[in-house]
Amino acid sequence: MNTSNETSSLDRSIRQSNYRLFLATAAWVASTALLTFGPAMWQYHVPTTLLAIAINLLAGAMMLLAFFRLLKSMDELQRQTHLEAMALAFGVTLIFTVIYGSLPTVQLLADTQPTNILFVMGISYILSVIGLWLGRTSE
Amino acid sequence: MKNRLKVLRAERDWTQADLAGQLDVTRQTVNAIEKGKYDPSLPLAFKIAEVFEMPIEQIFFPAQDDE
Repeated sequence: MNTSNETSSLDRSIRQSNYRLFLATAAWVASTALLTFGPAMWQYHVPTTLLAIAINLLAGAMMLLAFFRLLKSMDELQRQTHLEAMALAFGVTLIFTVIYGSLPTVQLLADTQPTNILFVMGISYILSVIGLWLGRTSE
Repeated sequence: MKNRLKVLRAERDWTQADLAGQLDVTRQTVNAIEKGKYDPSLPLAFKIAEVFEMPIEQIFFPAQDDE
């Protein structure tokens, strides 16, 4: 019975997928920075900006693909935990977005920042993964 | 759903990590199945039956509230 090798093959597969996701995310963040700060550097030359958008879209697609590969490399409990956490994060983000978006209308806030919505999405996803995982695997 | 995974594993003197390795899942997944906190997919349940060389219905059976 060569169980430790089998276990490490799953670990290795997840580690490789994590590394690929890290690289793809880094490329996406870099391309997003290029798209945000680049146009001022090339004096808002439209074809160059369109190229930066295309690069950002391509990097985003690669990041999505890397994330799907990571999901596929996980075992079924890990996968289910992440998918349920995504569903929870989607719901939390939806509710937050509706309330947050209405704050300027009801004059409780002067302006809204879209990055705050991304922050809520990320935090609710991470907390959901931790909570669901601990709920199922605590000894 | 209930299961006899812990008993069967103990009979063979396997650790959760040993079984997890044979099933290609994490040790935490074996633990969650044993504690009834997670019902495995049909393919994983068949793999478990294959590892224990037993029919699936001798390992997994419905809990009263499943019926």
